[in-house]
Amino acid sequence: MTTLTRRSLLRSSLALTAVGAIARPYVANAAATTATVWWVQGFAQEEDVAFKKIVADYEKASGNTIDYSIAPYAPMRQKIVSAVTGGVVPDMFQNTPAEIIALYAWDDKLVDVSDVVETQREEFTETALLTVRCYNNVEKKRSFYGVPYTVGASMNHIWRPLVEKAGYQMSDIPKTWDPYYDFFKDVQKKLRAQGMRNVYGLGFQMNTAGNDSNARANDFLIAYGGEDIVTKDGKLHLDDPKVRKAAIEMLTYPTTAYKEGFVPPGAINWNDADDNNAFHAKQIVMDIERSLSTEVAIIKNEQDYNDIVTMGLPLSNDGKPVPVEQGSLCGLIPKGAKNVAVAKDFLRYLIQPQILNELLKTGLGRNLPAMPAIVKNDPWWLDPKDPHRVTYVRQGLFGPTVPTFWTSNPAYAQVQNEHVWQTAWAEIMKDGAAPQVAAEKAFKRVEEIFAKYPIAQG
Amino acid sequence: MHGSDFAWSVAFAVPYAAVFCAFVVYPIAYALWIAARPSLYADLIADRLYLPTVVNTLVFVGLGVNVKMFLALLLSGFFMRRRWWIKALLGIYILPWVLAAVQTCISFHWMLIGEQGLVDGLLAALFGIDGPIWFNNRWLGLGSNIVAYVWKWMPFWTVIFLAARMTIPRDIYEAAEIDGATGPRSFVHVTFPMLANLYLICILVSTLWTLGEFTTVYLVSGGGPAGSTEVLATLGFRYAFDANRPELGIAAVMSALPVLIPIVIVLMRRAQASEVQL
Repeated sequence: MTTLTRRSLLRSSLALTAVGAIARPYVANAAATTATVWWVQGFAQEEDVAFKKIVADYEKASGNTIDYSIAPYAPMRQKIVSAVTGGVVPDMFQNTPAEIIALYAWDDKLVDVSDVVETQREEFTETALLTVRCYNNVEKKRSFYGVPYTVGASMNHIWRPLVEKAGYQMSDIPKTWDPYYDFFKDVQKKLRAQGMRNVYGLGFQMNTAGNDSNARANDFLIAYGGEDIVTKDGKLHLDDPKVRKAAIEMLTYPTTAYKEGFVPPGAINWNDADDNNAFHAKQIVMDIERSLSTEVAIIKNEQDYNDIVTMGLPLSNDGKPVPVEQGSLCGLIPKGAKNVAVAKDFLRYLIQPQILNELLKTGLGRNLPAMPAIVKNDPWWLDPKDPHRVTYVRQGLFGPTVPTFWTSNPAYAQVQNEHVWQTAWAEIMKDGAAPQVAAEKAFKRVEEIFAKYPIAQG
Repeated sequence: MHGSDFAWSVAFAVPYAAVFCAFVVYPIAYALWIAARPSLYADLIADRLYLPTVVNTLVFVGLGVNVKMFLALLLSGFFMRRRWWIKALLGIYILPWVLAAVQTCISFHWMLIGEQGLVDGLLAALFGIDGPIWFNNRWLGLGSNIVAYVWKWMPFWTVIFLAARMTIPRDIYEAAEIDGATGPRSFVHVTFPMLANLYLICILVSTLWTLGEFTTVYLVSGGGPAGSTEVLATLGFRYAFDANRPELGIAAVMSALPVLIPIVIVLMRRAQASEVQL
């Protein structure tokens, strides 16, 4: 056994110091080639597998390392908010929840990634680019603060067997907005008459907590002619009678359907997955969802997968196509990230069309690529053998779209976070408030919020 | 104290002080710093959910703690009996406490979830009636949270009171019995006075814990409908992570300090060893 002496201690210390000094450049070099990435877990396992493969391919091609962690949506949201608040951030994360890109860009908490977007600028849809072009209130300018890679658009998902059991054909479904959704009220009545006591015609998300109910409110607002509530310059237009009328109608139709018993009573408390759960349990005949998650979740059950019919949004009540609000998933680099260069390099790699196509295809195509050329060049996306994807592509990529409202002004992100419209819904449904009264209260709150987010024009 | 003794004292104290600073002082100071802006409290008051949430918190804590403690005290007497089946029953009774809170609360949620839930399903099957949509009504939702909370935590406090009862000397009961105090009178004149100080301390401790209770409300009613059954802990969480306003979330939780601090002071005074009766 070696005896520890003062001399041996000094010798050991010197040796350790020398090793440390020699090793230091290697460690520093390793850190310079490693980016920490936080990635949201997919609805289907295949989506995570696809991401891991892309990371492995990137590491092989670049020599860099992606130190990733994959977490479900809600914990990731909490992780991101905590990290940005605490100031200890990763090198890249996604816009989870989606609107944080607008809020963090406003507060100058995101790195400008225009140079990354520029590498594929011609490939992106105009709407996808608009969803990441946010306003920085410190620098008083708009720029690209996110790199879009997928887009999502609202779709109707319908159980064909339930429609047929009610004595109808899919071709009987009307083409315009209110008659379209009224049709499912009749389906419910017919099914109830056959003894299906717990079936509901409409699967509207009516809660005051999640994201889906925000998307539903916006779908109805746009359908009734309120798409100019926030224009691209960030201005609020609640003084426009057309917008006000649309907002009141958006507050009226779903709540009336709820009060009349055509929406499950529990929908007021659903979380974002509960409409999917109710749909899979065949508690509701139809659901609206901003992706193919409803279908992809049961892709291994061939019969059910084929029994669902995916339809685009109906025409407006006056027979015109309704532009669908297109949201994008994008990569964000927070200010304070230690390795911006590698994070940008990884994003540049990710949005190469062939790489992005591989990521989304392996992930079963739940979300659409933000680049139309991808679906034009790969027949998989428009393969008629799949009963859902073609409709989704046509509506989400080739149909008329508008960017999410909060991209134009982050005030609308706060409107959504506070669930101003859904609170009005709740007042109408629970407390019996008149839609006009609930609307006036909501308008006041929306105006108060927008007053906090003035955007310089010029 | 000699120099070397002092050095050793410091050496032993420093790690504890460092851990205390890192995990107690720093988080509290950081939270106070984040929630220091007076405008945050104006925002809280202006928010439609905050004041109803304060009322909910008071109802949840007031009913949850007192019902749970009183029933636990009574049941501890039942479990003092020496029959074998009562011992076996105790093992089953403490299961809700032993199981993870997430599992028990989610079970409650699914039992009450409405037309698909077990409770309404049983009501329909046995009596042919449609049960209420439990989480669509503020008071039914709040009541469900309280029942789930009492069900989850009552076994723990029953065991505490059971242990306390076991320390009461038998000769006191025998003396009381000679004086005619049997049955309920024995409870009123012997058991309760002997446990009074402990009972009060338990109430105070439980109040502190319950004021910060998050899991039950978040998982049973989810704060619904439309946020009408939120308590301060869940509302703070919503502000922080759903509304992306962490500073407002911390302010919401900090707004309970005027209640928490007096309870801590009373607790510290009552917990002095010389005053414990047992």
